[in-house]
Order: sequence, then C-alpha cells, then structure tokens
Amino acid sequence: MPSLRLTGRGMWITALLVPPLAFVAMFIVYPIISAFAYAFFDWNGLARGEFVGLDNFYKVLFTEPYASWTRNAFGHNVLVFFALMVLQNGIGFILAYCLWRGLPGARFHRVAVFLPVVLSTIIVGYLFKLFYHPLFGVVNISLKAIGLGFLAQPWLGQASTALWALIVANAWHMVGFPTLVFLAGMQRIPGEILDAVRMETESEWTKVTKIVWPLVAPSATVVFTLLFVGAFNWFELPYVMVGLDGSPYGSTDVLGLYFYRTAFGNQSSAAQDFGAGSALAVLIFLFVAVLASILTTRLRAREIQI
Amino acid sequence: MTTATATKAASYDRPGLLSTLGRDGLIQVILWANTFIMLAPIVIMVFSAFKTNAQIFASPFSVPDFTHVGNLTKIWTQTNFLRYLLNSVIVTGSSMALILVLGTMAAYAIGRYEFKGSGFILMFFLAGLTLPLKLAIIPLFILMRDFGILNNQLSLILVYVAMGLPTTVFILTGFIRTLPNELEDAARMDGASELRIMWSVMLPLVRPAMVIAAIQNVVPIWNDFFFPLVFIQNDNLKTLPQGLTSFMGEYTTDWGVLFAGLTLSAAPIILIYIILSRQFINGMTAGAVK
Amino acid sequence: MKKRNLLRLGAALSGLLMAMPALAQELTFWSWRQEDKAVYEELIKTFEAQNPGITVKFEAFEATNYNTILSTAVAGGTGPDLMMVRAFGGLETIASGGYLMPLDNTKIPALADFSPAALAAETMRSDQTLYAVPFASQTQFVIYNKAIFDQNGLKEPQTWDEFIKLAEDLKAKGVIPFANGTATAWQNETIVGALVSSIYGRGFYDDLMAGKVDFNDPRYVDALAKLKDITAYFPDGFIGLDYPSAQQLFTSGMAAMFAGGSYEIANFRAQNPDIQLGVFAAPGIKADDEKLVAIYFDGGYAANAKTAHPEAAVKFLNFLASKDFGQVFANKLNNISTVPGVTFDDPLLGEVAELNQHSIPYLMLVHFRYGEPSGSVLLQGEVQKLLDNQTTPAEIGKALTDGLANWYEPFKK
Repeated sequence: MPSLRLTGRGMWITALLVPPLAFVAMFIVYPIISAFAYAFFDWNGLARGEFVGLDNFYKVLFTEPYASWTRNAFGHNVLVFFALMVLQNGIGFILAYCLWRGLPGARFHRVAVFLPVVLSTIIVGYLFKLFYHPLFGVVNISLKAIGLGFLAQPWLGQASTALWALIVANAWHMVGFPTLVFLAGMQRIPGEILDAVRMETESEWTKVTKIVWPLVAPSATVVFTLLFVGAFNWFELPYVMVGLDGSPYGSTDVLGLYFYRTAFGNQSSAAQDFGAGSALAVLIFLFVAVLASILTTRLRAREIQI
Repeated sequence: MTTATATKAASYDRPGLLSTLGRDGLIQVILWANTFIMLAPIVIMVFSAFKTNAQIFASPFSVPDFTHVGNLTKIWTQTNFLRYLLNSVIVTGSSMALILVLGTMAAYAIGRYEFKGSGFILMFFLAGLTLPLKLAIIPLFILMRDFGILNNQLSLILVYVAMGLPTTVFILTGFIRTLPNELEDAARMDGASELRIMWSVMLPLVRPAMVIAAIQNVVPIWNDFFFPLVFIQNDNLKTLPQGLTSFMGEYTTDWGVLFAGLTLSAAPIILIYIILSRQFINGMTAGAVK
Repeated sequence: MKKRNLLRLGAALSGLLMAMPALAQELTFWSWRQEDKAVYEELIKTFEAQNPGITVKFEAFEATNYNTILSTAVAGGTGPDLMMVRAFGGLETIASGGYLMPLDNTKIPALADFSPAALAAETMRSDQTLYAVPFASQTQFVIYNKAIFDQNGLKEPQTWDEFIKLAEDLKAKGVIPFANGTATAWQNETIVGALVSSIYGRGFYDDLMAGKVDFNDPRYVDALAKLKDITAYFPDGFIGLDYPSAQQLFTSGMAAMFAGGSYEIANFRAQNPDIQLGVFAAPGIKADDEKLVAIYFDGGYAANAKTAHPEAAVKFLNFLASKDFGQVFANKLNNISTVPGVTFDDPLLGEVAELNQHSIPYLMLVHFRYGEPSGSVLLQGEVQKLLDNQTTPAEIGKALTDGLANWYEPFKK
C-alpha cells in the first residue's frame, strides 16, 4: 500500500479523516471530559458556581442521604448483573446450543428468538407494565384462571418482587442477543475439531463442556462485557416501568435512575444538583470502564489459551 | 421426517435412535417453549389492540374480532402518532446517511492507506465504543444549548452520528482491509485520482459491509428514548418512542387504546425485521462477532 | 420618479416590518394541566379579544416530568414566556436560578388583595420576592360517591371508629371502600394528608412549627398507625395499583371513596360526567376533635425573566390575577381560586371552601421540600414500606426526623 506523502495524498487522507474525527471529538470526547470537569464545581441550576474540588464526590459517597442512596442503587445494579447473567446469557447459551443442532424449524426459531430484541425498550416496558397490573394484568388473570390465584400479587408494588419483575422483563427482551452471538461462535468451530471429538467420545455433555464452551470464548467475552456495561447503565426499562424514584421505596432504584434524578430533578424532591449528578456520572463511568477493561482482558487471555 | 432426522443424527453420534430422539425431542421442546414465550406477549399485545376494556379483562387470550379497529383509528387520528413516526424517520434517516458517509471516509483512510498514527486513530474511534454517552448528558445538554439547537432535531442527529461512528468505522475498516489491491493498483496505474479510485472502484465493493453497519445502527437510533427525553420538549418534534409516552399518559384508563398505541409503534420495526431478518441478525451481531 | 416611489415603498415596508413585532406578539405559556387545555384556550381567546396584537399559545406537559422539562428548557434558554410554576420548595428550584421575573403590586395591582398565605407560597424565602401569581389552593380530604352512600344509607363519619365501621359496611355489601392505590409514589403522601390530618391534629402542627416537637411525637406516630389500619379497606393488591387505575376504580363506581385532593374533582367529572360527588374531612378520634383537611397552594403563573415581550407578559399576568379569570377558573376548572371575591357556582366547591376554614397545611409539600432529602420523598418511601409491612410507625417517625435533620435546622441536634 502506498505510504503517506505531504502533498496530494496526505491532503486527501486528511480530508477523509477530519470530519469523522471532528464529530467524535466534539460530541463524545469533549462531553466526556467536560463531565469529568463539571463534577469539580458547585452548580446553581445550570449556572456554574465555584470550584469545590472533591466536595461533590465526597457528598455523593459519604454524606447522607446520598451515601445510602448510592449504596442502595449500586447494590441493585450488582444484583441485576448477576441475575441477568444467568437469565440472559445462561439461557442464551442453552438456546444457542439448541439452535446449533440444526433441527427442523431452527431457522424459524432463530427469527422468533431475536424478534423481541428489535423492539424499543419503551414498548417492552409499557407492555410488561400492563401485564403486571394487579387487577387487570394478564399475569394475575392467568394465575387466577389456572387455580394459582394465591400467587397473584402486586408485582410492581412490592419490594420483594418489583426488581425481579423488571429483571424478567429485561431477560425476555434481550435473551435473543446472546443466543445469536453464541450461535455464531458455535458455527465457527471448525468441522474437523467436531469430527475429532466424535471419535473420542459419545457424550454430548463432554463435547459441550470441554470443547464447545472453551471455543466460543470470544463470543462469551463480548456477551459478558456488554451485559456488564448494560446492567450498570440500566435506565429506560426501570424509568418506564416504575418511575424515576425507584418505587416502591427505592427497591428498584439503580444508578441510572439515581443519576438522572439527581442531575435533573424529580416531582417531589428539592432542587436539582448538577454537581452531585456529574460526580455520580464520573464515578459510574470510572467503575464501569475499569471493570469492563479488566473483565475483557481476563476473558481475552482465556481465549488465547485455547 | 423421522428418517431424515435419524440420518442426520447418525452422522453426529453413535448412540441409538432412541436416545437421540430423546435428546432432540428435549431440544425441540425447549425451542418451541422459548418461541412461545418470545411471541406470546407480542401476540397478546396485537390481539388486545382490537378489544374493548371489558373484553381484555375478561378474556385476555382470545382471538379478537379484527374488524374492530376503533382503538387503532383513535391512535392514528387523535394523537400525534403520524407526526412522531415521521420524526423518527427523519432523524433516523439523516443520522444513518451521515454515519455511513463519515464512517466510510474514515474507514477507507485507515484501511487502505498506511501512515503513521493510523493505528492510534483507529483506537481513538474504538474507544468511543465503550463510552456510555448517557453519562455525559449534562455537558452535551449545555453544548446543544450553546449551539442553540436544543429542542431541535439536529441535536439528536449530531449525537447519534457521534455515537454510531465507532462501530461503523470498526466494521468497515475490518472489511475494507480485506479488499484486494489489484483493482486499486490498476486504476492508479491508469492515472486515476484517489477520489476516483475510491468512488468508482472500491466503494461498490464495500456495499455489503455498509448494509451491516446500517442495520447495526438503525435499531438503536430508531428505538432511542433517552436523548429525545432530554433534548426535545416540543410535542411536534418528538420521536416515536418518546411520543409513545405521551399517548400512554393520555389514555391511561383505556387499555384497548394503550395496546393499540403499542402495536402501532412496534409495527414498523417488526415488519421490517420479519422481511429482512437475516440481514438484521447479521447486522446486529456483526460488531459482536469478530 | 420611479426611484423615489420605490424608495418610499421600501421605507414604508421596512417601517411596517419593524412595527410588526410590536403589533403581533406571540407568547408561549406552559402548564402541567393537560386536562385543562380546552378551558385555558377559551380564556386565552377572551384575553386576546381584549388585547389585540398579543396571542398566547398554550402548551401542556405530563405533570410528573413537568418540573424537569421546565427547568431544563429555561436553563437552556428555550423556556416559555409564561409558565405555571409550583409553590414553596418547588418554586425555589426555578426561582433561585434567576429565571423568573420578579412581581409586585405596581406591576400587578390586583395582588394587593390576595391573602398573605397565598402570596407567601409564591415568594422565595431568600430574597422575599414574589415570583408568581398564585392560582389555586388545593385540599386533601375524602371524596365520596354520593349515590353509593345514599343507596346504603351511609352518612359522613364523626369519629374515627365510625369511619372504620363505614368502611366495614361497604365491604360487607361488596363495594370497595377506598379506591386508592399506592404504587405511584406521591399517592402515599396524599393519603396521609387526606386521612389522618385530624388524628395528629392542629396541636401537633403548631408544636412542630414552634420547634417543640419532631416527627417522633406520639400524635404523629399514632396517626400513621391509624393509616395502616384503614388501608385494610383499600382494594386487594393496592400496593401495586397505580394512580390512574385507582381513579378508574372510583369513577366506574366500583369503589365508594377516594382519599385525595380537590384537583381530582375535575378529573372525576371528566371521566364520568354522571358521578355525584361529596366531600368530607376525615374525622379525629373523638367527635369533638377538630375535623381538619390539609391545604396547600398548588402553584402560580410566572413570567420568564428573559422574555422578549415583558409588557405583554405582565398584561397577561394581570389578566390571570383578575376576578373575571378567577370566576371562570373556579367554575369551569373546579378549583378554589386564590383570586379574592370569587364565588362558586358549584355547590361542591362551596363545600370545599367551607372545609378549608378548618385546615392545617399539607405538611411535607408546604414546609419540607426545601432541601434534600425532601420530606415528601421520605414520607412517600416510608409509607410504602409501612404498607408493605416492612417498617413500623415509630420507625417512620425516626426516619423522617433523622432524614430531615440533614438540612432542617430545628431537627439538628
């Protein structure tokens, strides 16, 4: 390939690169850096006040009421991550395996499993909110119809069930994605390896655990990392289904809702606080970025070993 | 059908027909159960759109009288549904166009030319992949205010383009790198300019990757709710997901109309998906599978 | 010759163009009352007829998002010329940024006759400046379906025990006593104000304001216990029942009572024009305990400090403070207007106004929304816990006091 020269070609390459770079610089890099900077100031509405150093961070992490809200929300995100890991990625792997077997109808099932994924989170949120309604929702009506009426409860109104109701809705929405990513990974396993395995053992279980699972490690890396990022940035689904305050009494509060509420205000609360909001955003971002990198590196290392 | 399954299975494992059918049977059960779970809510949603409140509460699973289109017409004529749909089309379309143009430019530069810093620039774009732009909403909000485009669809388009470039550049660069050199060299020897080469020779070859990049971006942009929530207050400028919250709020007690609203909002993307399912699946998982 | 004519024409046109903004001024007016749109537009037509050259465009947003939408718009420089704003703490959010035009008796002479309490609701404490023309007071009490009561021979209860018995009777007859659901957070606050104000009583309120007691006081704790008792008569699964569904239960006649605010009257009548409504104050323990309702000022009309048409905006505010407006506001929108001298055609509103003579403020909204955590948010969360059997009234008293102690001076030890 030709190399860079000052005239003509150099200009041409620059002309190609500058517009896209400008976009990314102005609308991604600059805002993210600003978000970091804003956290160090005091804010009056949208008017920037004076430099306050680490005060906002301290407030959000250590002073009440923020400290317990932060811990509460964070704890919920952790729960959501592990729950979805099982319900989304776990089931996704199983479904991918089932599809991989190539039984009749696989193509139809593949289309069906991915259909919920293309829907907007808003649609999924409202749909399930209607389904979970204690008096008129399909879930409770069905339970009563098949004689399990005692199980019918106000799913979104109780702390014990609200977060899980959201998790189930999310799993329904998104399980198609890890399914197809794992499937693609499985389809890339070279035929020779599979044939060799078949010579060695007849056990499907051995084949799956010892061969398939390690070989789809690249897919697993992607799916795990994306789930991690998604679980900690969760916002639209809880916003639509339970509202900005993480009703009932904060049991569905997650970092995304908490951040938005702090920065932009809420119906019954006092003033908004961009300083605290920005500090929260920075902390969330650092946490997710650092852990996602660690996660990816370790998972990648696992890939190479094979 | 049994014979075909048996033959296929025989090429996989030694064990006899019975345990194979057992395992395959279990797999079919799992798949059908899953498909049912995936589709049932959507089917209930569509059915309920044709029912009255009383019918929904009494028999939620029954097949409705599909001529009863009152709920759908209510959404169609009495709310701003068409306007929201149009806004979504405009915003998504413009964003897609810009993403493809800019993304191709960058990917072409990085992928076809070797120069110092090309690796770094690629990294720069890829870093954008992991950054959740939502958390920078405050500075973005202030930036849009300073540009005077708050409450203007341009603010959405600019943000979506910036968000869509990293994955697009990633996908296209990978693809462009694999294109053969011969055509390019030949054209260069004929004295064609770089622009000519890119436009007439290389771009037509990149089209399949562009389709993938397009699909990868279309769905998140079409479905996005967060940025319109913050940037757009004017009802006439709202996109479909955001507008959906308006009529969900307006008709809270009329469940038939609510389901009709959800059905109409989901219809465009469901229809397109069913027609183009293979491209969709390829497109949306492309970035994830290397 | 031609050139001179051309010049004259040009001058005339440009003169006309320059004058046009002064002639036709369009003001934008934002509100959270989507339900009231039609009436406001009627009122605006009256104003426009009286003030040619000024047009007003009314835009309404969902109430739960309104505060956020307004503050982001105003801060972003795309805010409206005129807007409805909340009162008390809710006002300060917007006013403290300097976004609102200060108002006084010279700008709006009618303000001189407004009640001091109404004006105080729209005055920012730090600079003692008025920023909005108050529009209505709202009352939290019990609204009931007259037809159901008459059919079952029921009367307004005089003591708490009678109240419970009333609910029992209704339940026995297959009618849901209360329509209320508490899945929507702010409904947990309204039921406190509506149902147990008479239980904690005026004595508690006065002592609280004087700084003598806090929320650990037995009167308040006992009130919360009574609240828990009466929720036994809420619908099944009420903790998962959201606000619109609860309203629906009441308007459809499936439930007899709704513990809520006077703003519901207009909603209920719109959802079911045939419904006959009655109101009463939830009783205290003994028959001679003062029967109290919880009152607060809902909001006001304010002008944007940076509006391009300040005089037109002030003209409109004067219209909103006038008796003509107040009358239509009261009669067509079923609100207790704060404009002095307004009479109520609707006997129900007359009843509400009478009940207001025996009232104490709607505690959290009025006094405790000035800092984080706001008293409202705390109370809503705690009551949800109480109704889900996760806490006790005594613990709530402590949680409220400790939470508010973060910023409320009298509670700081």
